[in-house]
Amino acid sequence: MVIRIAAVGDVHLDEDVVGRFRPALEELPDCADVLLLAGDLTRHGTEAEARCVAREFGDLGVPVITVLGNHDHQCDQVPQVVKVLQDAGITVLEGTGTVVECAGGRLGVAGVKGFGGGFAGRCASDFGEPEMKAFVRTTRESADALAAALLSLECDALVALTHYAPVPDTLAGEPPEIYPFLGCYQLGQAIDSAPTALALHGHAHHGTERGTTPGGVRVRNVAHPVIKQAYSIFHLGDQVD
Amino acid sequence: MTGQPGDVPPDEYVEAEIQSMLAEDPSVAEQGITVVRRERGLVLYGEVESQHRREEILRRVTERFPHTPVTSDIGVIRTQAPTQVEELP
Repeated sequence: MVIRIAAVGDVHLDEDVVGRFRPALEELPDCADVLLLAGDLTRHGTEAEARCVAREFGDLGVPVITVLGNHDHQCDQVPQVVKVLQDAGITVLEGTGTVVECAGGRLGVAGVKGFGGGFAGRCASDFGEPEMKAFVRTTRESADALAAALLSLECDALVALTHYAPVPDTLAGEPPEIYPFLGCYQLGQAIDSAPTALALHGHAHHGTERGTTPGGVRVRNVAHPVIKQAYSIFHLGDQVD
Repeated sequence: MTGQPGDVPPDEYVEAEIQSMLAEDPSVAEQGITVVRRERGLVLYGEVESQHRREEILRRVTERFPHTPVTSDIGVIRTQAPTQVEELP
């Protein structure tokens, strides 16, 4: 049995984009069991932009699950954005998880926005100025929340959904100097701490589609500028046989 | 390319200011645009979600730096349904 997952991130909706994705999204009930959105749904994180997301990604005939991205935080309207999305039937994850009953089995999705920090050997430390310590503690708290959410789910196939990248593999194409602003190894560590089958993220517009965690979990960068189509589709197989 | 004969090629600080402006200007808010300095001016690379955003980026950059020759090679990302599936056994 197969679980069919559609995914895209970084769609950055506003009025000028509404309707562009819809024709492809209308095909989803025929080809996917669920749509996962990897954050940066909006340009500035306003309630008005969230309504654009609700129009474009609401009422699709498949469950829609999302995390927020850094753009969705820009205007400090996160509670309003989340409410608009939830009112449209979209599940918003932040250190939480959900299980979807699919024809191919129970799909568990744990999600968190994540944060920067860098990767092993080239990362920020919880040391020095308060600002630096706050930065790194944000990274760690986010990764800890993802690990807890992943481990809390009872399902046949487990997917981690983040905005920031959990591995450097899928950042290839971005300037190495900005990797610490694109993701952190602690997210990868969280993913490897659970029986995760697939990790999906966005954020890195110039990155690469495919990578793996140190523990061998497949990672896919589904940022719209990377996949260059309305969404990608993954068939998760053997784990649910 | 924008600009006029005799314009001065941009330096590193102009490149940095444009990169910051593209990210922080609310009318643009793009972090995925690459600014490259070439011998005769700047080239903007990247992809955005609409034709309007592509035009707005060039308008804002040329408005802020009217004497810097700028070439825009920014595309609009396609939104067609996928034709292939990735099997993950």
